[in-house]
Amino acid sequence: MLKEKGQLKFEDKWPHMRPIVLKLLKQEPVSPAEWHELFYDVHLVCLWDEKGPAKLRDHLHEDIVQFIKQAQNRVLAQRQEEALLKAYIAEWRKFFTQCNYLPTPFRQLEKSLQGKPASASSSTQGNNNKKGPIEESIVRNLMLDSWNDSIFSDIKHRLQDSAMKLVHAERNGEAFDSQLVIGVRESYVNLCSNTEDRLQIYRENFEAAYIQSTELFYRMKAPEQLATNGVQAYMRYADAKLREEEARVQRYLEAGSNGVIQCCVKVLVGNPLPVLLAECAPLIRAGETERLQLMFRLLERVPEGVQPMLRELENHITQAGLADMEAAADIITQDSEKYVERLLELFRKFSKLVHEAFSDDPRFLTARDKAFKAVVNDTTVFKLELGTGRNIGGRIVAPESKCPELLANYCDMLLRRTPLSKRLTSEEIESRLKDVLLVLKYVSNKDVFMRYHKAHLTRRLILDASADSEKEEDMVEWLREVGMPADYVNKLARMFQDIKVSEDLNAQFRTSTERHDAINIKILNAGAWARGSERVTVSLPVELEDYIPEVEEFYKRKHNGRKLQWYHHMSNGTITFATNGGKFDLDVTTFQMAVLFAWNQRPHDKITYENLRLATELPDGELRKTLWSLVAFPKLKRQLLQFTPQATAPKDFDEHTTFWVNQDFALIKNAKPQKRGKVNLIGRLQLSTERSQIEDNQSIVQLRILRTQEAIIKILKMRKRISNAALQSELVDILKNMFLPSKKMIKEQLEWLIEHKYMKRDDDDINTFIYMA
Amino acid sequence: MADENDNDRIDDNQKPEKMFTLKKWNAVAMWSWDVECDTCAICRVQVMDACLRCQAESKKDSYGKQDCVVVWGECNHSFHYCCMSLWVKQNNRCPLCQQEWSIQRMGK
Ligand SMILES: [Zn+2]
Ligand SMILES: [Zn+2]
Ligand SMILES: [Zn+2]
Repeated sequence: MLKEKGQLKFEDKWPHMRPIVLKLLKQEPVSPAEWHELFYDVHLVCLWDEKGPAKLRDHLHEDIVQFIKQAQNRVLAQRQEEALLKAYIAEWRKFFTQCNYLPTPFRQLEKSLQGKPASASSSTQGNNNKKGPIEESIVRNLMLDSWNDSIFSDIKHRLQDSAMKLVHAERNGEAFDSQLVIGVRESYVNLCSNTEDRLQIYRENFEAAYIQSTELFYRMKAPEQLATNGVQAYMRYADAKLREEEARVQRYLEAGSNGVIQCCVKVLVGNPLPVLLAECAPLIRAGETERLQLMFRLLERVPEGVQPMLRELENHITQAGLADMEAAADIITQDSEKYVERLLELFRKFSKLVHEAFSDDPRFLTARDKAFKAVVNDTTVFKLELGTGRNIGGRIVAPESKCPELLANYCDMLLRRTPLSKRLTSEEIESRLKDVLLVLKYVSNKDVFMRYHKAHLTRRLILDASADSEKEEDMVEWLREVGMPADYVNKLARMFQDIKVSEDLNAQFRTSTERHDAINIKILNAGAWARGSERVTVSLPVELEDYIPEVEEFYKRKHNGRKLQWYHHMSNGTITFATNGGKFDLDVTTFQMAVLFAWNQRPHDKITYENLRLATELPDGELRKTLWSLVAFPKLKRQLLQFTPQATAPKDFDEHTTFWVNQDFALIKNAKPQKRGKVNLIGRLQLSTERSQIEDNQSIVQLRILRTQEAIIKILKMRKRISNAALQSELVDILKNMFLPSKKMIKEQLEWLIEHKYMKRDDDDINTFIYMA
Repeated sequence: MADENDNDRIDDNQKPEKMFTLKKWNAVAMWSWDVECDTCAICRVQVMDACLRCQAESKKDSYGKQDCVVVWGECNHSFHYCCMSLWVKQNNRCPLCQQEWSIQRMGK
């Protein structure tokens, strides 16, 4: 330590150091004394010989390269793949251990080479196992780079090939020591001295070779499998292989690389995609849920795989649904119950398919819903013509599905006292009503449903024909819950409220009069119930007419400023019919009553159509319908009235047709005539005349126009200015719970609103609208 | 059988000439305010419906009884009572004919 700089030379020390270095390289035992001497000598050389550090590095390098050459010879002496890998891995592991060991005594050298002054403490750290400083060690990198430059560059192709051959053998079902492949991969990773990207050598060589050999393997195998075993078996094969390769990747590759699986997916699924997709429709048709599940799992892995499956599903449901409807057209157009049940059966079937085959994946649910919409709103089996009449220039609106009308009819059958509602439990009725709401969700002309539903409700409330009044009000709330417009639902609620007011009034009336036995009154709020002025005049029989002034007097005492209008086409009652042999109670409409009471003064007379018209003052159409219900009531074997000459429909009556009371009338039970009994001849209470039904449809169209205008104004008020496209989509959003506005209608209403200065087009952009206050 | 014939004969005696007799009649009528114009000129809602304020309030309790009546002035014009009673606080004239407002009758 006392010597001057330059007095101690590298050459003096190296002969003493070298044997220890060689022992370390060969992993031969080194005594603690030798170990310490090496530290000290490195220290001296670096401290006293200016050129010492460079010389030390060069000599060290030479010995390392020399050592590696020997190792290489030992490895290359192996001819057989497995033996080669084994030998290489053994040499590498030994060398790699020394990479962590040999640099330690040369810590002082590192500092000198980096031009840093020596510090006393650094030499005493001993064989430090902390990774940080060692990994950046110059000596370590010298070792690794030397290994890389000599042995690795020479034999990496043989190594990779050997490893891939083993993997290939494994793919073919041969067992081998997986540690060999793993060992090779580890050497690729550890070999890298690039601290920025430790996986560089591994990725560029090992992984690339792995991907290439995998691709090659399946390029051969996949078409072979497909050709020999068919598509179904192939899909099972591909699915199994993909899982297998995923597991293999876990074993043999570094985490976080998905290149191999991407490549497998491309070869196993992407390449034969058209062949696989061709199988989709037949599987859906056959309801092969397990196979579809498998197909979905596979095709989901490729970008264009699922979209065609969605299209197939949508097409299939639409076609099957429509075909089913068409095949059963005769039954379902006549019978709302059968129609709704058929639809629901269809929905259940396909919902089950989507659940089982596609685990209710949202994309498939959307495809299903699109198809359901197409079926429900289809107009081939039956359609509803919504004529606009002359008011709007005689244009005809496109026909719409009759579905909402049938849904409303079905609801009526469930909520009214009918054979169907009597057969079902309360829970069953509830679940069926919910089913109706489910179908209603897909209906685009919901306003038609609302109209029919309201008409049925009116009929039930006026005839006191509800099966369960609690369920009636539940239904109103359910309609609110499924998003029916609030003003519509509120109107229904108002009818219930009004009918209760009317019941109170009737109770008061009956206590106020002497003749309380035979009359009930319903006096309803015209704003909540009546539609237009569709009253039908009739000349009441005196038995009825007598009551009118009394009711009106009573009402006047109760209320101020109100006027009453009698709705005799809605009123009804019970009469007793006495014949020679029997006595029957008949539930009849007031019109039927008016006709029948015409015989009270002349029970055995034959009366002409013309005279009945004079007696009742009923309009022609109503009189024909009323008479028809008395001469040809479907439920009766013996009819109430008889007539001549023959007629097969109401329109066949002429003014000379004569009618008389059937004195042999009887109800037939078990093929025996009964002398007493009750029969309901009301049927479906006529709420509106034929003319008003046309008006009804027109008013739907007019209401749509009004709603569309309202919604456009509402949007513009909020947005001030808006593009045509944005306006259209907001409009559909607002209106979709009532109906689907057509592009044509929207355009017409926009023009109308512009013409009437509610809004204008932007001067610079005709596709932008501006609100005008 | 003889019994039944007796009964029939008694019935015949009671109501000898009527083949059809009324047992029950359920008569239906609609009431509306006896007004010339069915829209309230103040709130632009039909007088048969509750006025805008009452509609907004009854939405909170959807079954709350609506008692939004109509009022007639001496000029025979009619409005929702709610609407008119607010109107006269600002201006004691009929909004339609500008005559001084005085109530002729109230709906009930
Ligand atoms: Zn008002
Ligand atoms: Zn009010
Ligand atoms: Zn006035």
